[in-house]
Amino acid sequence: MKKWIPVLSGVTAGFLAATVFFADFNVGTKTAAVDPAVKSNAEKVYVPFGEKDEYYLFASGGHSGQMFIYGVPSMRHIRTVPVFSHDSATGYGWDEHTKELMGGYTWGDLHHPAFSETNGDYDGKWMFATDVGNSRAAVMGLDSFTVRDIIEVPNTSGPHCAAFVTDNTEYIFLPTRFAVPLGSEYASLDEYSEKYRGVMSAVSFDEQTEKLNVAWQVALPPWSYDLSDAGKGISKDWAVLTTYNTEEATTNLEINASQADRDYIVLFNWKELEKMVADGQFDEVNGQKIIFPEKHKGSIYLIPVAKSPHGVDVTPDGKRFIASGKLAPAMTIFSFEKAFAAIENKEFAGERNGIPVLNYESVMEREVNPENALGPLHTQFDDKGMAYTTMFISSEVVKWDPNTGETLDRVAVQYSPGHSVAAEGDTVSPDGKYLIALNKIAKDSYLSVGPSHPESMQLIDISGKMEVIQSAPVNPEPHYAQMIKADKINTFTVYPKDENRPNSVWKQEDTRIERIGDEVHVYGIAMRSKFIFDAKSERPDVIEVNEGDNVVLHLTNIDLDQDITHGFAINMYNLNIEVQPGQTNTLRFKADKAGTYPLYCTNFCSALHQEMTGYLLVKPKK
Amino acid sequence: MNKKLSLSSSLLVSIASVLLFASLFFPWWGMQFIAPQYPEGLDIIVYPNKLEGQIEIINGLNHYIGMKEFSEKNFPELNYLPYIIGGLALLVLGAGWWRRWKGLAATALLYAVGGVLGVYDIHRWLKDFGTNLDPKAPIKIDPFIPPIYGENQIANFITHSYFSTGSFLLGASFLLILWVLWKERKRC
Ligand SMILES: [Cu+2]
Repeated sequence: MKKWIPVLSGVTAGFLAATVFFADFNVGTKTAAVDPAVKSNAEKVYVPFGEKDEYYLFASGGHSGQMFIYGVPSMRHIRTVPVFSHDSATGYGWDEHTKELMGGYTWGDLHHPAFSETNGDYDGKWMFATDVGNSRAAVMGLDSFTVRDIIEVPNTSGPHCAAFVTDNTEYIFLPTRFAVPLGSEYASLDEYSEKYRGVMSAVSFDEQTEKLNVAWQVALPPWSYDLSDAGKGISKDWAVLTTYNTEEATTNLEINASQADRDYIVLFNWKELEKMVADGQFDEVNGQKIIFPEKHKGSIYLIPVAKSPHGVDVTPDGKRFIASGKLAPAMTIFSFEKAFAAIENKEFAGERNGIPVLNYESVMEREVNPENALGPLHTQFDDKGMAYTTMFISSEVVKWDPNTGETLDRVAVQYSPGHSVAAEGDTVSPDGKYLIALNKIAKDSYLSVGPSHPESMQLIDISGKMEVIQSAPVNPEPHYAQMIKADKINTFTVYPKDENRPNSVWKQEDTRIERIGDEVHVYGIAMRSKFIFDAKSERPDVIEVNEGDNVVLHLTNIDLDQDITHGFAINMYNLNIEVQPGQTNTLRFKADKAGTYPLYCTNFCSALHQEMTGYLLVKPKK
Repeated sequence: MNKKLSLSSSLLVSIASVLLFASLFFPWWGMQFIAPQYPEGLDIIVYPNKLEGQIEIINGLNHYIGMKEFSEKNFPELNYLPYIIGGLALLVLGAGWWRRWKGLAATALLYAVGGVLGVYDIHRWLKDFGTNLDPKAPIKIDPFIPPIYGENQIANFITHSYFSTGSFLLGASFLLILWVLWKERKRC
């Protein structure tokens, strides 16, 4: 009986060994043959040399004051565009034009980039952004990725809740994060409720003159305004913004602004507000037309929402908007149609600070509470109208159906996503395909650079089951981003040769140095590989002035050839500008240090770039 | 022996005149410069009355080898060439209508001499530009004469010289005249 045991175990062992060594384990995988159409994650993000990315990603640079441009899906960083901060890489902030744009400030806190729109869709012409740090708005031209105008917005402080652009870029709205007295004048915090205001500014943009202008303002109550979105379709004359600290607390907001169970969504009709301004229903304060909602009623309404909300996002069809408390587990879907009906029927729950409050129940359509999802912040949409909400506390992106509230999918991100951006995800026709989570914490994700970790952006493929397919470190601070189809943007590569451009010089023999009193005007050229400031001089690449002179240098890059950028820096004078091919740039400075200062081309331009130098000679005062 | 050209021949000569006139509106000759940094190529395109292409860029690069600048004002021919060609076209037209073999032959001879002069003129300029190089130029290269037709290497550039639409029209027009002369050699 027992004899067969060793025999059997021997046979079994032999069979096992034979199986291990000789069996073809590929049989199993062969039956589940790899579908050649299914790309690996590496293939999905790989853009071979010679090909270009499908989308541009414009990511706000927060307190870097800059805008970061990435290609998607490769997530390659293409360019940093300086907007509110000096940038020596591009000479931004030193030449006369950009110095004037910066208005004496050396930094800004760039938030919420927003594309210009035509019929609710990105038109690829302009990009707007705001500076929470110094209350400014900027516009970038997408033909050259350069800032064209920056304005300071009076009566307001910290336009964080911005910029959001209306359907046809009629206005860029800038609601403000901090309430201040109008004109930022002094007022005791004891008078907060009476004297402070959270002003929202309607800024218009003139495409011809490339100028921004504060058209009018609304003196909203002294609350903090957080995020906003313009309506679309049936709601295109309307917009929504979230507000917190409706408690009107003046200290320790962490506690004191988290007391009330509900804060508000501000719902307003900008077409009606525009009409009110036209009809003279405004007060003029510090040169601005300001509507006081308690005096001039109509057009602005409040809707209760779970406390301390962050995002409020309008669905692509313009019929609903979605908001949630930052600390609440659930999101609320509101209906524009219901809100319009309630307004029509004057179905108000009362007033707050002179503004009618709508009933939560009469505007709300549905509450959505994905299991264990915590801290819903911001929602984007795909081509099928499905919603994707970032969950800050539970570190994930949840996909759900706004029609039913059903949770469809979820994916973990690393870690704590604030905003997210889907391809054209806040337009009337989102592209689907990609979503990027902009994460606030990136510990242990990349090679360490010490205590300050890079923040991260994670690319999520949303075409099927959501999957993180790429991760890119980013400089502080990716706050919000916009993703546009690459073929919507048309850039130029060389500035057109404009012989009538003021201060430009196009021929070597026309270069000259002119003195008017103690002002020295230099009309020079930069070309491969020399500077010519005065062709008739014995040394054409030398500028000689007297100590104390004001020097105005007009430099034209006469190389009309793609990629031939010249720089111009003066040793120890803390100056550096750039001149693009065909561009004329002006630098103004006081020659207040006597001595000999080499000047040179900073932007590697040619084989003889190293020889592209000259001297600034500053003769000492006798 | 002094009979007139046939009507069909006269018509062909008229066509030759039209072709010659039409050539005024097309480029005659060109040169393309290709380098690793310029895979798309830089062009000089010569019309009877103007230059086209990336002339300023080519000038910018040529200053490294000390070559003079190409510009329309450096080529006085561009001012009067259209009149010469226009005049020749009228002459051909006249010869066609006059319908004398000898007249046409004389025009053809003038035509041929003009053509040779034109080619010589291009050669003269190429020689001037390629051999009168600034001795103080940063890049020293031996004087050279770019070919009127074909490939050449200058520093990091490969140049392609070629004849273009205008010259083809001109050639076609001339061949047409020769054909008529040949056809009518017995008749007249
Ligand atoms: Cu340079």
